[in-house]
Parts: sequence; C-alpha cells; structure tokens
Amino acid sequence: MTLTIDYTGQLASVVGASEEAVEVAEGDSVADVLKGRLEVYGEKFGELVFDGEGRIRSTLLVVLDGEQAAGDKENLSLEGVKVLMLMTPIAGG
Amino acid sequence: MEDIENELSDRDRAIYEWQLNVPGLGEQGQVKLRNSTALVSRIGGLGGPLALSLAAAGIGKLILVHGGHLRPDDLNRQILMRHDYLGKNRVDAAAETLRQFNPHIEIETVAENFTEGNAADLVERADIVFDAAPLFEERFLMNRECVLQQKPLIDCAMFNMEGQVIPIVPGETACLACLYPEVPEHWKRRFPVIGAVSALIANIGAMEGIKLIAGLSGVNLNRLIYFDTLAMKLQKVKIVRNPDCKICKKL
Ligand SMILES: [Zn+2]
Repeated sequence: MTLTIDYTGQLASVVGASEEAVEVAEGDSVADVLKGRLEVYGEKFGELVFDGEGRIRSTLLVVLDGEQAAGDKENLSLEGVKVLMLMTPIAGG
Repeated sequence: MEDIENELSDRDRAIYEWQLNVPGLGEQGQVKLRNSTALVSRIGGLGGPLALSLAAAGIGKLILVHGGHLRPDDLNRQILMRHDYLGKNRVDAAAETLRQFNPHIEIETVAENFTEGNAADLVERADIVFDAAPLFEERFLMNRECVLQQKPLIDCAMFNMEGQVIPIVPGETACLACLYPEVPEHWKRRFPVIGAVSALIANIGAMEGIKLIAGLSGVNLNRLIYFDTLAMKLQKVKIVRNPDCKICKKL
C-alpha cells in the first residue's frame, strides 16, 4: 500500500521535502517504515528520529491520520493509515 | 481611574468600537480583556507581534519578559524594536513601542528571561502566559509553573517556514511535557526565520489567547495548530494527555 509521510521542522530540512509517498508492506509498523527511511536519508535523519538505543525518540511526535499516537511508539500499527506525520520539536521565537 | 470594574469607559468604547461588534465578543468580552494580565516571554519575532496584537485588542496589562540587549540580527523579525535601540534593553524598546501604540494599557517590563528563580513569581502575576521562548528549558519552566498554578499557557513556536501553536489549559489539555517528556537533544538556539512567518504564528497564538480570555468559543483545546507557510497549509493535529506525564498527571 502507499503511505504518505509528512515531515515537519528539522526533519523536513534533512529530508529536503515536507512530503513523500512510500510503498509499505502489509504488517509494517511505524518503526519498520522509519528504519527504511533511515537507509535512504542516513545519519542526520537517524539522529532526529532514533535515540542512542535505536528507539523512536520520546520527543518525536508521531501523528497518524491527524491524531497523535500516544504511548509506546515501537509497535505502532499502520493498518488503515493513509498519512504518517513526523514532527520534530520546535521552539523558535 | 475612570474604569468601572464591569463596564467599559466611553474612551474604551470609542477605541474598541469595531471589535465590540465581533460576534461573541461584545462589551462583556472586552471587559474581560481589559481586566486581564497577560505575560509574554520573550518579545522577539514571535512575542513582539503577539504583544502588539494583545495591546491592540485592549488587554489590561502586559508583562514583557526578555533579557539581553538588541542586536542587529534581531531586526529581521523583532518588530517592536528600532534601529536606534541597538545595544539597549529589548524590553525597554518593546515597551516604548507598545506605549506609543496604546497608552491606555499597563505595561510592566522584566529585563530577564524565565529562570528557576523567577518562574513562580512571574506566572503568579499573570492570568495567562504566552510562550515565545527559543529554548526548551525556558518553555518547560513556564509549562511547569502554569500547570502548578493552573493558568492557561499558549505555547507558540516556529522554525523555517513553519510554526505551531498549542493552547494549554492545565487539567483539561495535554501540557508541553505530555508532548515532549525531555529536552529535545537536537534543537539549536539559532533557527532559520523570516519575520512574516513569526508574526503569522504569533497572531494565531494571540487569537487563541484572546478567545480564552474573552470567553469566546472555538479555542483549540487538545489540538496542535500547525501552519506551513510554504504550502500555505493549516492543520490541526489532535494531541493527547500523557497519563504518566511527570508535570500534569496529578491534575
Ligand atoms: Zn502533561
């Protein structure tokens, strides 16, 4: 299935786009998709998305079809999800 | 003072006449604005235009919190400043601009940033807090104090061509620590910014605050309002409280 990924903040700068469409396999989780994007975008992407233990950062907002995904981000299902939005924290004034 | 607690003076009716006709605001809403104190930290690219819009709307008192002196590289976005204030206190420049614009509101200046030492006292003096600080350490302090004192906080942030506003009502909505449980490791003090983007996000924040203060409907509770000025796209992201939030879980 095709998933749209929206990137905001520093992540959009690293990716060089605010949106992309990717093909994901049935049963893929958010973490699976992010590991796939890491292979494409490399280290700077990894720093913003994963912590030192390879887990999705606590400060990365993961938004599924317009709703923030609460709780454990490691096992988030993408079933039925059309848009995955990834928001890195911003604080500029 | 000619103001009567629950009524507008003739002078205020004359000044705010055009907004008294806004549905839902009216004289009652205007009185609530006049009787309120808003704290804005800081008063740069975001906080400056935000404070200006609150002054235009007739907020009763503004507390401007910002340390440091005006630098040339502030002037692409900090619209309350002036070139002849370079090297001088930012809050003094901001207060002078605002007093010239609206001499009928009270303005207090605090020439320092939020710290562990002043946070409780500053929040105590305000009815509502507008967060426009560039560092998460300051933002978390404001958030913690607003939760402790149960005061609304309008968290405004921007980066590059984007920005976001989160209206926080302690006990009712997610707080900043619900979203970000720790200081983000990769946020940098210096960020790309165009003044018009800051001002736009500031005015979204001002409107959420004005609605809250004046008792208007439509405050975006448990929403993160995100605006991308490149695509001109507005999105309201539904956010949730973290039941384990170390700041607000007791409320
Ligand atoms: Zn919280």
